[in-house]
Amino acid sequence: MAQQGDETRRNGLAIALLLPIVLVNVGVFLYPVLNLLSTSFKEALPGGGIGTEFTWANWSTLVQDRFYMEALLRSVLMSLLITFLTLLCSYPIALYLHRSSGQWRTFLLVLVVSPLLTSAVVRTYGWVAVLADTGLIKNGLEQIGITLPFRLVYNMTGVVIGLTEILMPYMILALLAGFGRLDPRCEEAALTLGARPIQAFWRVVLPLTAPGIALGCLLCFVLAVSSFITPRILGGGRVFLLATEIYDQAIVTLNWPAAGTLSILVLVVFGLSLILYTRALRAFD
Amino acid sequence: MAPTRHPAKPLNMTLAEADMRHGTGQEEPAAGGFLSLQGLGKRYQGFTAVHHLYLDVPRGELVALLGPSGCGKTTTLRMIAGLTPVSGGRVLVGGRDMTSEPPYRRDMGLVFQSYALFPHMTVERNVAFGLEMRRIGRAEVAERVKEAVAMVRLQGLEKRRPRELSGGQQQRVALARALVIQPSILLFDEPLSNLDAKLRDEMRTEIRDIQQRLGITAVFVTHDQAEALAMCDKVAVMNAGRLEQLGTPTELYERPANPFVASFVGRINRLPAMAMGTKAKVGERELRLTQPMEGNIEVMVRPHRIQLEPAGSAATESTNRVQGEIRRTTYVGDLIQYVVHVDGLNWSVEQPTSASATLSPIGAKVDLSWRVEDTLAFKSAG
Ligand SMILES: Nc1ncnc2c1ncn2[C@@H]1O[C@H](COP(=O)(O)OP(=O)(O)OP(=O)(O)O)[C@@H](O)[C@H]1O
Ligand SMILES: [Mg+2]
Repeated sequence: MAQQGDETRRNGLAIALLLPIVLVNVGVFLYPVLNLLSTSFKEALPGGGIGTEFTWANWSTLVQDRFYMEALLRSVLMSLLITFLTLLCSYPIALYLHRSSGQWRTFLLVLVVSPLLTSAVVRTYGWVAVLADTGLIKNGLEQIGITLPFRLVYNMTGVVIGLTEILMPYMILALLAGFGRLDPRCEEAALTLGARPIQAFWRVVLPLTAPGIALGCLLCFVLAVSSFITPRILGGGRVFLLATEIYDQAIVTLNWPAAGTLSILVLVVFGLSLILYTRALRAFD
Repeated sequence: MAPTRHPAKPLNMTLAEADMRHGTGQEEPAAGGFLSLQGLGKRYQGFTAVHHLYLDVPRGELVALLGPSGCGKTTTLRMIAGLTPVSGGRVLVGGRDMTSEPPYRRDMGLVFQSYALFPHMTVERNVAFGLEMRRIGRAEVAERVKEAVAMVRLQGLEKRRPRELSGGQQQRVALARALVIQPSILLFDEPLSNLDAKLRDEMRTEIRDIQQRLGITAVFVTHDQAEALAMCDKVAVMNAGRLEQLGTPTELYERPANPFVASFVGRINRLPAMAMGTKAKVGERELRLTQPMEGNIEVMVRPHRIQLEPAGSAATESTNRVQGEIRRTTYVGDLIQYVVHVDGLNWSVEQPTSASATLSPIGAKVDLSWRVEDTLAFKSAG
């Protein structure tokens, strides 16, 4: 009996400790999402108003309008590409960081994190300066007689380059967090057993770092899908993505129900990627 | 291609096959061992972990590396395996300079002190890894993995992951993983430290058996002196990064090269004395030495080489004797351990039970005598 009392008390304590975060989440996350959901079933009135009648109109437009479906596809594919490129660029850096030690490591970590201290807007304009037709890269290449036949900015190329760089710190930190299981002795053991470094990498290092890779990819994919400042600036208004469209509908066109509908769609994409992530984690184990 | 100097052979190949495979040693260079460390050294910033180490291990021999914690045993093994770059010196295998070869081209197996099992692979996959790297056919891999798993008594656990095993079981996986590839050189870093006495005995026999049958050259790091003396051809004693002595167990025990080896290998009693030629003075008493020495020395005698006799027994030409007083007696079955107070020092003396049917009482004055040949003497430090 006493034991049961103990248990009840412990459960009570757990609930008491969890209550604040649950309340906050309900207030600032769950309520707005439900609100969005209900908005997506309302009619848009001119001048930013929201009707009171229930309607399927927003959803049927979304499904029927090729523009939105293409934006969805473009968003997802572009984000996948960016995630992949970010992973490719970040993995060697993270691995090197994981293996370095002491002050050198601290210094490198500060270098990795420092971009996060400046706003993404500033860094995006930095990329405009670098990628523009009269910018560093094109100019530099022309100096040595190479003329690129395509533009590097105000199109998809610019968005991909910019977002890849902007997301790298997140990827590196996520990878580092996931490298916990990577014991250098394991790699050494593989070498003494006759594995060449490349074999040791594929058979031992990569599988052991897979959880970190999954985490980093999830994080970067979600961030890439939901970013709108960088695609807007580096896309020059010519790259239509879900996030930029939501921004336009909500802020420019003042069509809140349409923005809400698209937002729910993005949430569904996130939900799917989360499922994929947990599936992957289970597969690694 | 992974190194495949040796054709794949099941563990139970015959002695004749093993002989054919490794030859009888005629093709070896006259001087030096199959594995030869020549002035091997390792410096970390401001700290020398290994000093100019010279060590020759003849083909097919098992050499134990014995020494206190932190003396550089692991560092030495890692340099042999090519995992730690050397700061100086060379590693030769069969006369070939391996110093700058990467680990995967050395054909050596290393059992890590910390096991270093692959956490994401099952026991089976761990053991199979080295064979797969050697491009051995599936059927044969399965066969040899099965044998190796049976050898370390892990049948039934093939599908488990390392984290689902006890420490001793993990250690045995590490052992199987290194043994199954039958490399030309095997390096063991305290491979039995986590096993119970019975299993440890079995594994010693297995390791020794495989090593001899296949003529593998091996270095075996251990803290356990009994293990080193019992299962190895030679024992190398290291201290603070230096090789103190290399010799057969008997040499090490009977003719230690210096006080460190004398006191590290087996137990020993010490007594400061003043040497003049083949005589040494301890107080008023005189001891005979086997070799002439001068000045301050330390006389050492092993506990079980001493005879206890009633005080005042007649001295003979061939024995040394000192007087003492019994302080403590401990009966441990097959022998009796005495603590005897000699010139302000506590000596330990061991007597077989049969020889002294009666326990000498505490406080009794006794003579301790031992043969002159059993007297070890070293110059005192400083
Ligand atoms: N990376 C390193 N940097 C600096 N010093 C090191 C490094 N690795 C080892 N050492 C030092 O080198 C010495 C020898 O280490 P080693 O691991 O070879 O000892 P060991 O003989 O194997 O000891 P144990 O029996 O405890 O395993 C130790 O004093 C250790 O502190
Ligand atoms: Mg060690």
